[in-house]
Amino acid sequence: MTAAAPEPKANMGHPVPRYDAAAKVTGRATYASDMPLDNPAYAFLVTSAIAKGRIDGFGLDDAKAVRGVIDIVTHENAPKLKESKLFSNGGYAGTTIQPLKSADIAHDGQIIAVVIAETYEAAREAANRVKVSYTAVEPSSSFDSPGTTTAAAKGQNAQFKEDPEAGDFAKAFDQAEVKLTASYATPTQHHNPMELFTTSCAWMGDNLVIYEGSQYVYGLKNGVAEQLGIDADKVRVVNPYVGGGFGSRGSMTPRTAIIAGIAKRLNRPIKLVPTRDQGFTIATYRAETRHEIRLGAGRDGKLMALRHEGAEVSSRPDAYCVGGTKTTTRLYACPNVSSLVSIVRADRNTPGFMRSPPEVPYLFALESAMDELAVKLNMDPVELRRINDTTVEPIGGKPYTSRSLMACFDEAAKTFGWSQRSPQPKSMSDGDWLVGYGCAATCYPTQMAPSAARVRLQRDGRTRVEIAGHEIGTGAYTVIAQTASERLGVPLEKVAVFMGDSDLPPAPVAGGSNSTASTCSAVMMVCDQIRQRLFKAVMPGDSLADKAKETVGISQTPSTQAAKSDRPLDIEKAFDALGVGVVEEYGEWKPEGAPLDSFKAMHSGHARLIGGPEMKDKIAYAFGAEFVEVRVNRFTHEIRCPRLVGAFAAGRIMNPRTARSQLMGGLIWGMSSALLEATEIDERNARYVNDNLADYLVPVNADVPNVEVILLSEQDEQINPAGVKGLGELANVGTNAAICNAIYHATGQRIRKLPVRLENIEV
Amino acid sequence: MSEKPGSGASGFDRRAFMAGAAGSALVPMAARAAAQDASVPAARDPALPVDVTLRVNGKDSRLRIDARTTVLDALREHLKLTGSKKGCDHGQCGACTVLIDDRRVVSCLTLALAAEGQEITTIEGLATDDRLHPMQQAFVDNDAFQCGYCTPGQIMSAVACVKEGHAGSEADIREYMSGNICRCAAYPNIVAAVKQAAPEIMKG
Repeated sequence: MTAAAPEPKANMGHPVPRYDAAAKVTGRATYASDMPLDNPAYAFLVTSAIAKGRIDGFGLDDAKAVRGVIDIVTHENAPKLKESKLFSNGGYAGTTIQPLKSADIAHDGQIIAVVIAETYEAAREAANRVKVSYTAVEPSSSFDSPGTTTAAAKGQNAQFKEDPEAGDFAKAFDQAEVKLTASYATPTQHHNPMELFTTSCAWMGDNLVIYEGSQYVYGLKNGVAEQLGIDADKVRVVNPYVGGGFGSRGSMTPRTAIIAGIAKRLNRPIKLVPTRDQGFTIATYRAETRHEIRLGAGRDGKLMALRHEGAEVSSRPDAYCVGGTKTTTRLYACPNVSSLVSIVRADRNTPGFMRSPPEVPYLFALESAMDELAVKLNMDPVELRRINDTTVEPIGGKPYTSRSLMACFDEAAKTFGWSQRSPQPKSMSDGDWLVGYGCAATCYPTQMAPSAARVRLQRDGRTRVEIAGHEIGTGAYTVIAQTASERLGVPLEKVAVFMGDSDLPPAPVAGGSNSTASTCSAVMMVCDQIRQRLFKAVMPGDSLADKAKETVGISQTPSTQAAKSDRPLDIEKAFDALGVGVVEEYGEWKPEGAPLDSFKAMHSGHARLIGGPEMKDKIAYAFGAEFVEVRVNRFTHEIRCPRLVGAFAAGRIMNPRTARSQLMGGLIWGMSSALLEATEIDERNARYVNDNLADYLVPVNADVPNVEVILLSEQDEQINPAGVKGLGELANVGTNAAICNAIYHATGQRIRKLPVRLENIEV
Repeated sequence: MSEKPGSGASGFDRRAFMAGAAGSALVPMAARAAAQDASVPAARDPALPVDVTLRVNGKDSRLRIDARTTVLDALREHLKLTGSKKGCDHGQCGACTVLIDDRRVVSCLTLALAAEGQEITTIEGLATDDRLHPMQQAFVDNDAFQCGYCTPGQIMSAVACVKEGHAGSEADIREYMSGNICRCAAYPNIVAAVKQAAPEIMKG
């Protein structure tokens, strides 16, 4: 076994190589802009240079004079599109700011014109020649800008239902022996997936095909149909591979229906490849947040009072928020809790989900505060977590379905060598480098959503699985193929998986780390339908429940099943008895507690995620513990992070190889968030300044330290049939706090605002 | 792209505009896409097609293209070789890396015209007879990718990195593979893959 393919422990699948590996290393994997189009015209966007105001007029003569220009579309001649509501209000859109609808400008970088030309080069040149005159109004850019408005999230965002509270915070905090009050801040960040936000649209008569990297093909299909005012069955979204999502492709952006409308008008396929900098304003981002945490504890470390106030920036029209207090108020045993989330409206594009949307900013605050409290108590921060560990969340008194937080802490601490740490800040060094060790808890809610699947089994064992899931790098093809292989008892190499196409049975959004749990549960169920038919054919007197569990091994690991027999069910005999060549089944799975209209919503592109703290009589989270070593140069203040160790428990691990890779990438994301990433805003113009990959810092290979991922064995039968908690967003949550805690240990300086750069160090 | 504030090429009179918009903020007058100075005297219309012959993966192709077409866009839009990817179009991310005369080059910053007469190798030209190149196999073995979008560029860069003699240590590999961004952050696995493939590639 290589490091990339860890030996499976109990309740883990095989670390088989990725299903799509060969396609991805040979260039054969086709992403949206790789799809061949018949005689396409090329689109180039023109975006606003002001953040607020209106367009007085366009000067288009120069642009139109460019050879090869076909059309220039502005609000004066744009195709008429219907509005789509924000996804959190029952719509599909990531923003309700609809460009090309009027002369009004709502944010910097808003789409104000689309140039269509015979070539990409001509479209780009013409776009550069579009002249615009504006009447500008001074914009409000962020928290401290004049002109913003602030209001509680509750009541204005349908997905933010409550400010969690329990007991009497004020009294308990007042009486606490040890108190901490601290403020924290996180910056604007952009997903920057490697694939640009491209869209190609081609009409065949009344039918539209959209090639676009999407984390939710059913949402996009239904959303575009709604905007165009056509039947959703006329729209097909295709993207067998997606070049990274991280949340940026979960909801519909305005560009898609615009390009579709123009393609219809021109009766020609249109290909749009926006620039990297345009991606900063035509899609969503992680908004900047501010927090105040109050902790009150006894001298023994037991938390008595906890208050978390969070504030988040959103756009003028849309009350988007992540509201992470639903997690931070439930993480530790604490009888007296209060919280408040507010939304600050500014002249910005609407933010959206970015990898672990609520947990990244909110746990940065809480897990930093826990470290500060440990310092006040003169207590090991791991022990402070142990004292406050719980099996029941304090807000509703519901039990965690499983919780391996302290097992993760202990395992990671051992591997990291936490016992070598001398507790005093500034007490460890190596030459010019101050050395610090830090740690933090990480967690992510376990979520599921209704999903359908179609499975076809042939007499020779060849199997075809169809599901409109999404391969955004998570290993979705691989774990779905493994699921079908294990469940039907057919060799993995005989399983073919088709995804990324809205003509296939619906799967939920690839977001909220729900995909594996939802799609694998659906595929398992449909494979069982096939097995039921086969068993009935050969054993008409027996029920599946009696026989199949023993012979086909529903809940067994594949290795034990294979050991018993390489053909637990005589498929050929069953096919003979049935008298057919192919057995095909379709089925729809929904998680426990899903509302009655779930399947209807599933087909219309509304993913109804269930889980985390919002389950009826239980609460489900995946947990982990992260330890980091930080080195701060005492002269240059350069910060390096040579070691990251994380231990994680997330229910059944379908494939330790893809799981480890995602968690490793997550740890590096966390390091990046703590030390590198921030979208800088020019506050005068409410404009993103560093909107490219040279100035928006993401890690390169030389930035990346030694990363160690430990997968803990965990079994949880209360969550879903697959027993999967989801881990794509688990690892990048705790790292921010772990690194700041390590910087404190190295330097004695507590940094409460991300990212930490060398200019912030005052050794 | 950022505009040039008050660009004289805008065709609008700046003072008249400001007078007309009294009370409003001073703002740049161009759109954000307006980066080029149109007052430069026009030479030959660059949109007029030019003929160019590109040798890609051992095969010559004659193209009639806009003179400003990059090697990347020539491959993707004209030769239908879409393995090379566009991630920034600015030479910042490395997703478009190809080999030109065995040197690694960001194809988004290389004009197709400038590559005429040179040997271009893309990800599609690496495997021979359905057998993966050792670097491709090493990427599979070490799970050196997730979404896969940067992977063709990483692999082309990795092949060159080894041939340049920059794969002698993990530190060297990290440094010399730092021109290729992987947002999924498969970096440790990429280092492991380069280490695995290096001896076989050096053997030839």
